[in-house]
Amino acid sequence: MMKVIIDNFSNIFNITLIYATFRSAVPIIFAALCAAITQQADILNIATEGIMLIGGFAAVTVSYFTGSWFLGVLTAMLLGAVIAMIMAVGHIRYNADICGIGMGINLFAVAFTRFLLKAVYNTNGAFSDPSIKPIPRVNIPFIASIPVIGDIFNNWTVTEWFVLILIAFLQFLFYKTVWGLRLRAVGQFPEATKTAGINVTMMKYEAMLISGVVGGLAGAHLSLGYSVQFVDNMTNNRGFMGVAAMYFGGANPILTSIGCLLFGLADSIGNRLQAYGIPSQFVLMMPYIVTVVVLAISMAIKLSTNRRKESSLTTAAVAEEAGS
Amino acid sequence: MKRKLISVLVSTALVLSLVGCASADEVAATAAAAAEEAAPAVEEAAEAVEEAAADVEEAAEPSGELPRVCVVYSGNLGDKSYNDSCNMGSEKAVADFGIELKSLEGTTGEEWEANLVSACEDGYDLVICSSSNFEEYLKEHASEYPDTKFAIIDTTVEAPNVASISFAQNQGSFLAGAAAAMFTQKADIPGVNEDHVIGWVGGMDIPVLHDFYIGYEQGAKYIDPDIQILQAFAGAWNDPLKGKELTLAQYDQGADIVMNVASGTGTGILEAAAEADKYAIGVDLNQDNDQPGHVLTSMMKRVDTACYLIIESVVNGTFEGGSTQYLSLANDGVSLTDFSVMREHLGDKFPEDIVEKIDELTQKVKDGEIVVENYEGFGPSK
Repeated sequence: MMKVIIDNFSNIFNITLIYATFRSAVPIIFAALCAAITQQADILNIATEGIMLIGGFAAVTVSYFTGSWFLGVLTAMLLGAVIAMIMAVGHIRYNADICGIGMGINLFAVAFTRFLLKAVYNTNGAFSDPSIKPIPRVNIPFIASIPVIGDIFNNWTVTEWFVLILIAFLQFLFYKTVWGLRLRAVGQFPEATKTAGINVTMMKYEAMLISGVVGGLAGAHLSLGYSVQFVDNMTNNRGFMGVAAMYFGGANPILTSIGCLLFGLADSIGNRLQAYGIPSQFVLMMPYIVTVVVLAISMAIKLSTNRRKESSLTTAAVAEEAGS
Repeated sequence: MKRKLISVLVSTALVLSLVGCASADEVAATAAAAAEEAAPAVEEAAEAVEEAAADVEEAAEPSGELPRVCVVYSGNLGDKSYNDSCNMGSEKAVADFGIELKSLEGTTGEEWEANLVSACEDGYDLVICSSSNFEEYLKEHASEYPDTKFAIIDTTVEAPNVASISFAQNQGSFLAGAAAAMFTQKADIPGVNEDHVIGWVGGMDIPVLHDFYIGYEQGAKYIDPDIQILQAFAGAWNDPLKGKELTLAQYDQGADIVMNVASGTGTGILEAAAEADKYAIGVDLNQDNDQPGHVLTSMMKRVDTACYLIIESVVNGTFEGGSTQYLSLANDGVSLTDFSVMREHLGDKFPEDIVEKIDELTQKVKDGEIVVENYEGFGPSK
């Protein structure tokens, strides 16, 4: 395998790999951000997958019938919010287990979109049509003419540019604003936060709402930007990979996105390696291996930091006892 | 307590709604719809079937009770490719003979086996396994239902109640490979680069696809011995996103034309061609119009003919268990489309010499002057 990589190094690791990595990472980044927002409030939004799927279907449908990609994206975001609110009511008001609701939404989304595919378009498996208006691509002529930069940055979809803004915005929101501080406080010390006079329940609802909107957007990007069609179960575990990346980045938007880029890179290199006779079964396994490795490493780091914290606490307690 | 009860009820309802949707009741109407959708591309296919059937039809008056037929698919209908082609053949049989038809779709091995067994249990007279994905399951279950007639397309299963029809996809792919190899040399066509690199993206990594690939490679190397061919498998018949990524990756590595051999995954391959402003070769059905101007030609594999012939043999009482048929270039089982859509889009840039060369090669393969290699286990039965 190493020999194949070395022989074709210039073909595999050429300049187009950068955009390929980014392109395949963006749907996962959206999903990961969706999960990161609620994670800050200590809610594990495992329904990312299902919200994306329903968002993707809604986006294609609205774009197909109205001819407006923007309305499609908007509808997807709205629907994402609605689903997230249903989950929020179940979890926050009625205290249901969030993983249970999340899995329910995921399973429901697969079956429901499959049913709608049949009911609305009378087809199974996939729906594509020239009248689906895709999210436009940004073509900047003067960038296109610069050799390397043009290869990397030209022709991104609007949502691909937007994801960069979203990452920066969320990073700012979480760590530089009062709202972000409160959100993190809700996630880490809910009792203390309550004592400080912050409405914990309201904060949780707000986090779920934003998460739903981002999840819907993730789906819309998948079905109108990344590709222009709806496919049965098209998320194909991207939502779960997003959750994994969120854990990797500790719900920090920038670190989380780096985790997603790792998945994208593994996937893109895999796609290129196949061309040189490396067994497809092995290559297709790579993104999942990377998921496991990335999670294992991040968990190991987390454990070791926790242990260090714990031991300093116990030594402090011991010292206190000795002092009294 | 009350709250807990409510949440339990809600989750139960969710799970139940799921089960309701998943149980495959959705199938019956699909067939007609899919056929309708693909109709324009296929009218010509249907005509050819009609011709093939015409001579038999007059001799054969359907005798006795009409057979009940069930077709089991790997993947979904609506793929505008292999499965739709098969469905067209069986729909035509419905129109001609008035048989009862049921189609069962599935995307995983468990579903395929379950569909096959349930078709047998339901007492259908003829069960058609539409692809070689069913080979192992059919080998296992054919003997358990000795009174059921089985047919399998695209591979051979030896059993007294199974008829097999396979194709010379290697011959069709030989022509496709030759066309691709000539096309990648035409650097004056927009989107075609200087490198002599062509691509090939398949669905699942199964033997029949290697039979495709062997022909493709031989055809390409017949034109240009130094050509580089990039090969990839998506690992699924229903993952257009994967197909798209693989195809874009091959374009990024210098390919300018990629052959699609991927059923439902293939819509992503053709989409990639349009998006990257490059070229693709269609498969199974005439896909030239799926992304007009980006599909050079399609390698048509007449799965519809195969399916129709099998049903017809059962209706006429001429069904022969244990038989094998081989549809090749010589009997129009496989062929390339006539390049007309591409000619229209490229105008005077269209390379006419490709068409001439393909006609010449077609004749040579038919005459046996060129022998196209087979993957192990394929080819005409001895």
